[in-house]
This record gives sequence, C-alpha cells and structure tokens, in this order.
Amino acid sequence: MPTARYIANDKLMPWLLSLTETRQVLAPVQAGGQTLFAPLTADSQLDINGLADASAKAALLPRCETLFEFHYSKSEGIPSKTELEVRETLPDQDTFLFGARPCDAKGFTVFDRVYDGGTRRDIYYCTRRDKTIVATLACTDPADTCFCNRVGGGPGDTDGSDILFTPVDGGYVIEPVTERGEAFLAEQPLVEAEDRKEEARKVREKVAEAMPDEGSLGGAKGEVLELFDDKEFWGDVTAKCLSCGACSYLCPTCYCFNMTDESNGDDGVRVRTWDNCMSFQFTLEGSGHNPRDGKAQRMRNRIGHKFSYYPELHDGNLACVGCGRCIVHCPVSMDVRAIVAQARDRALAKQEHAND
Amino acid sequence: MASSIDDLKSAIKKALPDLDMVIAWAAGPDPLSHTPLFITEEADIERIEWDPRCSQNLAGYLPGLRGKKVGIVVKGCDARSLVELLQEKLIDREDVTIFGLHCTGAVDARTARKALGSLRGLESVSIDGGTASFSVSGESKTLPLAGVLQKKCFTCTGADAEVCDHFIGEHGQPPQVTDIPATTLEELQAMSMEERLHFWEDQMSRCIRCYACRSACPLCVCQDHCAAQSREPHWVDQTDHPREKLMFQAIHALHTAGRCTECGECERACPMGLPIMTLKQALNLSIQDLFDYKAGTDPDQAPPLFEFREEEKNIKERDW
Amino acid sequence: MTNTDATNLYLPDMGTIQEVIEETANIKTFRITLNNPDAMRDFRFEPGQVGQLSVFGVGESTFVINSSPTRMDYLQFSVMRVGELTEKLHKLRPGDQVGVRAPLGNCFPYKEMKGKDIVFVGGGIGMAPLRTLLLYMLDNRDDYGKISLLYGARSPFDMAFSYELPDWLEREDMTTELTVDNGTPDWKHHVGLIPNVLKEMAPSAENAYAVTCGPPIMIKFTIEALHSLGFKDDQIITTLEKRMKCGVGICGRCNIGTKYVCKDGPVFTNAQLKELPNEL
Repeated sequence: MPTARYIANDKLMPWLLSLTETRQVLAPVQAGGQTLFAPLTADSQLDINGLADASAKAALLPRCETLFEFHYSKSEGIPSKTELEVRETLPDQDTFLFGARPCDAKGFTVFDRVYDGGTRRDIYYCTRRDKTIVATLACTDPADTCFCNRVGGGPGDTDGSDILFTPVDGGYVIEPVTERGEAFLAEQPLVEAEDRKEEARKVREKVAEAMPDEGSLGGAKGEVLELFDDKEFWGDVTAKCLSCGACSYLCPTCYCFNMTDESNGDDGVRVRTWDNCMSFQFTLEGSGHNPRDGKAQRMRNRIGHKFSYYPELHDGNLACVGCGRCIVHCPVSMDVRAIVAQARDRALAKQEHAND
Repeated sequence: MASSIDDLKSAIKKALPDLDMVIAWAAGPDPLSHTPLFITEEADIERIEWDPRCSQNLAGYLPGLRGKKVGIVVKGCDARSLVELLQEKLIDREDVTIFGLHCTGAVDARTARKALGSLRGLESVSIDGGTASFSVSGESKTLPLAGVLQKKCFTCTGADAEVCDHFIGEHGQPPQVTDIPATTLEELQAMSMEERLHFWEDQMSRCIRCYACRSACPLCVCQDHCAAQSREPHWVDQTDHPREKLMFQAIHALHTAGRCTECGECERACPMGLPIMTLKQALNLSIQDLFDYKAGTDPDQAPPLFEFREEEKNIKERDW
Repeated sequence: MTNTDATNLYLPDMGTIQEVIEETANIKTFRITLNNPDAMRDFRFEPGQVGQLSVFGVGESTFVINSSPTRMDYLQFSVMRVGELTEKLHKLRPGDQVGVRAPLGNCFPYKEMKGKDIVFVGGGIGMAPLRTLLLYMLDNRDDYGKISLLYGARSPFDMAFSYELPDWLEREDMTTELTVDNGTPDWKHHVGLIPNVLKEMAPSAENAYAVTCGPPIMIKFTIEALHSLGFKDDQIITTLEKRMKCGVGICGRCNIGTKYVCKDGPVFTNAQLKELPNEL
C-alpha cells in the first residue's frame, strides 16, 4: 500500500499554495521575528529551518473557539417573557498542516487520549482532527534544548502524523503514515520515489543516533509523586519561576482550557480558551479557597501531570514530547529536564536513606 | 570595563552570613541567557556568572521576599527598578543589601541566536567598545553591538547601579552603540494614526495572552488579582481578538505610567517577540512632559500619578 | 441518558425554572424542568451526581442535583450566593431559562450501602447533597437499616430545607437531630458544634456508613469525631467541592493527582481521599 513520493525543494511552496484552493494550509511562517504556524498565502515567508517558536497545537485546539452562540429577545406575544436561542458552532474547515515536527505530532496523540476517549468525545476537537491532515517534517538539526529522545520520541518519529516528509538531497521524500495520509497523497501530482525510501530512512537514522543520550526522563512517575509533600524541593525548584504561562501556551501537549461567556447586549458566545495551570486563578474556588495558591504547588502539579499522573492514566505515555520550547522561551530559563532528573534523584536518595 | 566577577563573589561571600539569601545569576540551559541563582550557602557562590548574558532583572523577586534579609545583584537598569520598588514602599531598604555593578550591555538572546547560527560550544561572551565577542569552541566571533544587544541598551540612561551598598569595580558609561536602528517608538511616531492601529492589530494578533510580560514586570505585584482577568468590572474579555489584547497592553501601560523604568523585561519575556515596551516608553514621554519626572532615580520621590497636587507645575487648568 | 453520551459534551440542555425557594439569606433552591419533554422523561441520574447550571452570558457552575431520582417532577439545585454566576442565578424567577448539563460525576455508593445503618452529618449548604441520598433511601426504606441525620448550621436562619425539617423530625423511620452554633430563645434543639453533638449522639459504627458534607473545617472535625466513634475510613463518605469547568474530565482543572473530581468524584470515601496527594 504505502508508496514513497518526492518533491523538489523549489516545487514545495508552489505545491503548498496549490492546496490552498481546496483547504486551509497551515505552515510555519515568519512573523514579527518569530516563526509560527499560520494560514499560508502567496506572501508568506515559509520557515522550515529548525523548530517553530509556537507549537502546532492551535490547528486542533485553537487559542479561542466559540462553542455556541446565544441570543436573548423579547417574546413576540408576551413582552414580559424573554426568549433564549442557543446555537452550537462546530468547526468546518479542511486543513493541511504542513511542517509540524515529530514532537508536535506526538503532542496530538497526547490530546487524542483525552479528547477522543471512546465514549467521551470532544466534538470540536474530533471534528478538527478528522478534517486535518498532519504532514510532519523530520528533523535534521535538533537543538541543544531538544530532548524528544528522552521522552519516548525521536527526530524522525511518526506518532500522530498522517504523512512524513524527510529532507534529502534536492528535496523531500514523502511517505504516508496513515490510510488518510495515503488517500491524500494518491491524489497529488507527486512523483513516485520508492527508490529513495532507503535514503530517507538513513537520514532519519543518522539524526536520531547523533542525539545525545542523557537517559530517559520517563519511568519517574512514582518518584515525582513521592515528592509531593516535599515543600523544600518544590520551593527551591520554583524560586526563580515567574508563574507566567509562556511554557503552557507554547507546549505541544498542554491542553487545559477555560470556558467563559462573553456577551454584547443581547447576543453572546460561550468560548473555550487555552488556560494555564501556572496561573493563580486556575483552581481558585468560589469560597475563596485555593488549593494551589503558590507557584511551588502549581509547578508541582505541572510536572506531576506531565510525568506522573498522565502516564499513570495512559499506559506510561508521558505528557511531554521533548520539544524544549518551555526551556528556550522561559523568561528565567527554567529547565524541565533538570527538574525531573532532580526529582528522581532526590526521591531515590530518600528511599535509600529510608532503607539505612 | 565590566565589574569583575571575582570581586562580586568575594563581596557576596562576606555579606552572606548576615543574609537569608543572595540573588545573582548562574549558567542555565540557554547558552545565550543566564538564569537567576538563589544563594543560601557559600558553596553556591562558585556558580555565579557575570557577563552580558545576565539579562534577567532580579529586582522583581524582592516584593515576594519581603520580611527576609535579601542580597541582590543589580545592573544599572535593575537598580532603577529597585529604586522604584523603594519609592512605592513595596520593599524595605534595611532588608535589602544591594550589590551594584557596572554593566557593559545585555545580549538579546533572540537576535544573537539568529546572528550566530549554531550555539554549540559557546563558552563566553564579552563586550568591549562597540562590539560583542562570542567565544565558540575556542574561536572568537565578533559582532557589532547593534545586532546583538537588547534594544533597551541603546537608550541606556545609566549603566551603573546608583543606589547600592557595595559597588563592584569602576563606574563607567553606557555601551557605545553605533548605527542604532530606529526604535519601534520612532517608527510609530512617523506613522499616521490609522497605520499605528494597523501595526498594533498585527502585533496583537500574535499575542498568546501568556502574561509573561506581566509576570516579568518588577512592578506587577498585583498579578494574581489583575484587572485583565476581572469579570467584575469586565474590562477585557477572553476572546482572541487583537482589540482585547491591545486593551490589556493599554491597561498595563497606564498602570505603570510614571513607574516603569524601562527595564525591558516585558519585551524580553514575550515569547512572541512583541515590541510592548514601546507603549510604556510612549507614556513615559508624556509623564516627562507633564511632570518633569523620570521613574527610578530617587528613592525619596513618589510616582506623580500616586499623588494629587492642588496646583500642578505644568498643567495650568485655570488658564484654559 | 448520561451527558457523556451526548454528541456535544459542552452544549447544555435548555431548562425552565419552575419554582424558586428562598432557603436562607444567601441560599436559594431552584426547581427546574428540561424544555424537551423527551429529555425530561428520559433523564436518569443517581444520588450524588451533579450538574452544571448555565446562565447564558454569565457562565456555568456546578451544583449537586439534590432532588431524588425517585421523584422526577423536577431537578432541584440549591445555590449559595458567593460570586458572579450565583449572584445572577439568585436574580432569576420562575419562567426564566437556564442551561443544564447533567448528570455529571459519580454517585454515592447507594447499592453497597444497602442493609447498613446510615449516619448523615450535614453542615449548612452541605445538606444539599445529603438530601438527595436521604430522600432516595426513604423512598427505598426497606433496603436500608437505621437512618439518622445530624444537621447543623450557624443559626436557625441558616438552615436550608427548613420546610422539610418538621417532617424529618417527626418521622419514625429515621432519627433527626438539629444543632446550631448560635441559638435563639425559641430554639428547641441542640446548641453546639456539629462534631461535639455527633459525639454525644454516639451512633454505632457497626455495620454503618457515615455520609458527611459541609464547610471544609466542619468535615475535618466531623471525620475526627467519626474516627473516635470507631468509623473506619472506608465507612466515611463525603463529596468534594472544586473549581470545575468542563465537568467531563477533559479541561484538566479539577484534578487531585490522577483523579478528576468531576469524573472520578465528587463523591469519595475517606479511604480514597487519603490515597490522593494532599491537595484538597
């Protein structure tokens, strides 16, 4: 079934633009000095060198989406009665997501387990997922802050992707990963390149082998949980944290959201927006009680969720894909790798001490 | 000449026994940006770094540590934030031990990263005269300051901490930068109103509302109870419209008018690279005109918008 | 029909307020019917489950369905006025429209509780979740052993369901004790903190369950009192309050460790709570 195809470097942009006739194409483009995923137009500056500054998650989980609209009006016959009309607003657009990295695509699998969990399906997410083809670009130059290989991923992995592009001499070898990917490629004017599959595989293998192996960050779910009541540890680790939200919003696996009603007179919408567990208000209760009223507790939950609670609930899969954006963009250079490793070492030391 | 790191370390070593902690900088995961270091034991002092990669304004941590005896290392701009905190009585002078430095400029990690390409093997960074030297695997790469320095350094009003307990090294001038590109404020001032609105709509379309700008601001001690997230009154809604995001920036700029010392942390922290300090700079110009006042210079002054005078010097209401 | 089967997990059903009862100065009870007659007829829930009530334009909040599944003329929610949404709810009148997303969460283990003696200990608005289970058990009286209720509030004026208390006091198939922190001249019942009165009542822990709900500090001391009476942690059941949004375990907000209060709770035994990280 799967057939490899090829596209030359100079044909890439024209081909992507041709796709915009039938659907939205999201790709990493330069904007204001940064690289982020945006709808591709003829004026776009495509930037596929390295990792985009923002993750691709807005393709499936937009920063803000309208769940439904509502409208109040006076009843025709009875002036004292108010009518209320509520209308759901489901996503509707076919999308080709190009240039996500394997870490971005793996992030989608983190969402899938939560948003598409058998009987419990989030219709907004699932509709977008069904209407989006994820075309991932294998990495050739991982940064020092990339650590996908330490969290169960890799620079050429295909988890969560429909199609994989691998850079080779002169262009890209394109391979389908899912049936949806193959069905899409079968209709595209791309040359077959079965004979270049091996070349692509070697490129990916070389890049994966060159990534430094500093040990897995998975398998620490027990240790992280053990340190839950260790106030000194979490206090030290978060001394410099500003409790902002840059890490959550750039993270390809953070999926927490808020729902709020915004109205303008008689009309309004209920919107779903990204939320962030590093914010003070996240767990603030109506009574005024806040279970996580300090940044130490909030970071403890963030690390706990990604490296302990989520893997506990989902067969050991971590809710971190090692993209390193949180490290690069943190205003004070917090390092999640160091925090998890320190947590593990400290918990193990405590265990040994307890055995003395 | 930048203050010597060895002198800094020995000054801290001497003071540490009488303090709960000292805040300085250490090497972090980003080769172009050092990270805050909270020193509680003498052994921590060895980790101190002092070079143009010490960007973070450490003064922002002080209000949260009120009641403790804290030592803090500050560059010129950081010290002005500290003075502002003193003016607003958000920190107590007797509980803060200030180690002041002469700064030769702070590297902009974003632009430097692009200018250098690969950061592998980056060992040290120094600034001398009008250039920055990056030592990469033993080889030195020299780049003009205008391309790698933080924009706020181009308009530095003083590279030395004026108010401090221990000044390390010798006083000196701000970094000498040639061929400074036009600032965003200058670009905006050359635009029509409509063009300016379009500019900000475009910038704000990329804002992700992470509030890193607010969290990084040393003055935003009320970030947990911010007007931007209040529903009563409801100034800003949660939709992704640039208008809402610009409204937050406007609130932030107004709330810091006459208090902002242009330390640049808001812009540096912004993961989307938005030029948000510009709004504060614009308001500070108005404050300068109306009140002859510049924030962060004299601990005994008070921000003009904190006070009410029956007769303002430059605002002649009765003559209108 | 559980909400998780619904095509759109976030779209509320439209409901109409049929009756509003002023319980106390800051608690009102709303009796609501779903507009769609099929939805109302097919609505099923188990005691302890909650619902999200929407006032469109303001937002949503979680309240326990405190009517009993055995009495389906309406769905009852009791609301304490504490913030923006509850303030707006309190202004609504019969005929006004609200959104209902229900049932959500887990329920009291009413099946395991069969054949046992049940001790209800409620404080203030905490009586609401207890009411649903109490009424269910009274409507299935033969399935349960001795039923006793201790209900306390700050003062007689802070007692919810005051119009039902005379019936509960008189019934022969349950014992009811009331207590207040501050009495009034004509107050005929106990004056004293709930845990202390509980110890005086000294219900037997043998073959019994205790169900308690109220302000956190009251729950804490009540559980201590129950321990002193011999109740083990798996015999003590409570229901938690937490900030919730989606109500279906997706938005990530209400977790305590691996458990989502909206999905794995809000009903927990004290034994289950003790296994959770200390983050209540």
